[in-house]
Amino acid sequence: MFVSERMATNLITVGPDLTIFEAKKLMGEKSIRHLPVVDSKGKLLGIISDRDMRDAMPSTLLKKPDYEITLGKIGGFPVSDIMTSKPLTIYPYYTLQDTLLVMQKKKVGALPVVDEEGYLKGILSTRDLLRAFVNVLNIDEPGTLLCIVVKDQPGQMKKIVDIISEENISLGSVLVTRYWEEDKRAIFPYLLTNNVIGVKKKLIDLGFELLDPLKWYLDQLPKVSE
Amino acid sequence: MKKTGFVYDERYLLHDTGAAHPESPERLIAIYNHLVKTGMLDKLVKIEAEPANKRWIESVHNIHYITKFEEACIYGLTEFEHPDNAICRETSDVAYLAVGGVLKAIDLVMSGEIDRAFCAIRPPGHHAEVSAPMGFCYFNNVAIGARYLQRNHGIKRVAIIDFDVHHGNGTQHIFDNDPTVLYYSIHEHPSFAYPGTGRDFEEGIGEGDGFTKNSPVLPGRGDEEYRRLMMQDLVPAIKKFEPEFILLSAGFDAHIDDMMSGTNLTTDGYDFVTQVILNLVNRYTNGKVVSVLEGGYNLEMLPVLVENHIKMLCELRSF
Repeated sequence: MFVSERMATNLITVGPDLTIFEAKKLMGEKSIRHLPVVDSKGKLLGIISDRDMRDAMPSTLLKKPDYEITLGKIGGFPVSDIMTSKPLTIYPYYTLQDTLLVMQKKKVGALPVVDEEGYLKGILSTRDLLRAFVNVLNIDEPGTLLCIVVKDQPGQMKKIVDIISEENISLGSVLVTRYWEEDKRAIFPYLLTNNVIGVKKKLIDLGFELLDPLKWYLDQLPKVSE
Repeated sequence: MKKTGFVYDERYLLHDTGAAHPESPERLIAIYNHLVKTGMLDKLVKIEAEPANKRWIESVHNIHYITKFEEACIYGLTEFEHPDNAICRETSDVAYLAVGGVLKAIDLVMSGEIDRAFCAIRPPGHHAEVSAPMGFCYFNNVAIGARYLQRNHGIKRVAIIDFDVHHGNGTQHIFDNDPTVLYYSIHEHPSFAYPGTGRDFEEGIGEGDGFTKNSPVLPGRGDEEYRRLMMQDLVPAIKKFEPEFILLSAGFDAHIDDMMSGTNLTTDGYDFVTQVILNLVNRYTNGKVVSVLEGGYNLEMLPVLVENHIKMLCELRSF
């Protein structure tokens, strides 16, 4: 769950003196939304997002000749003029959880990853994070989701995991969430099998409540006053 | 009454999945005994299976995969690539017979000896991929049937309607790029149910774009949702595609009493499903349809649902 395992390392970078015009072309060709700017040794100087680029472009409302003239005026400026200098960075040893929280808090779409001397090592985008979470949830593998309501007390998860092990079923992932009754939790084990009859029967026999997910959805909707 | 074939073979019982596996020989025994008891069997044209010619299996599956499967059985392994896929020494022979049963039913319908057919076969097929077994399935019986219709009977457009509660990932992937086979599936929503595919935005790839249609049903929903989705998604898709033949992946595990799923389709709901399909069959394929058993694990409900389904194929029952 470390950034180093998930960041993109086949990086496209540019120097600070590249023109805006060429940088725009490069981002278009490679279909990338974030372009790190580094010095000749690979130290991170800044980053250009597609939004920075759009802000620098003349308005599309301009008439074509005006647009071309303005574009001609700005296209030759170096990227260092529009990049975000000293951008927010993370280290390769950051966890994905850290990164998730940072991205949520700072509202950024990608974070350059640097070592402690400031050399660029990689870049981690929301897309990389999404892929990582699809992977840890194992939802790209065939399986079945169970929805179980349990009392919020220790030892419940063990019972569930024991039953799953007894049935010789691989566990893809488990999510635990709050339930609408305060002393209860909802547990969602994702089982990598088609064969859930045995496990469901055992859970019911042990007194667990299997949740109808739709009921959960309906109960979460705002109540209509009559 | 429509002359309806019934594929069944005692050798289908030899695929032994071990104790406590839901895809058991008892499923077929229950169906057979129920049809005997109700007298329904006497009204059907009994069809015994022959092993399918390997060339038809190869029309869908990778030859190395077929060999690997046969070898796993010969070696006496008890599972094939995943604990779900329980096998025994006889499993690959039975799998050839399952495909063979479907192909024979197709031959008889195409020659006009029978109007339509139900194939009470196992192992099931719709999860089986080109090169992988999945979810109790080894050979994709229905997919092979579709290729056989095209290559041996000159049928151009085949529609496969899959109402098993699980998405037929294998069938969808086999025909993903193929505009000559329409795949429609209605199943429990993939966020909750095996195998986690069959979302409504999966609509085919490349040339096959628009020739796959999926109707996911949220758990807890039943008859009304099936009615709404089939009218909204299935009927227009078939109308547009104009199939010459319709194959069914008939799973009876969406029933409210089947613990394999969270959907609540009732016995009446199943009648509705069959009726909508038969209306399309009568309109577009001149009544020609071959229905192939997939899932259904409640041993009390399965025989009743199959009986109702067959009666409707015979036109002895309607919704």
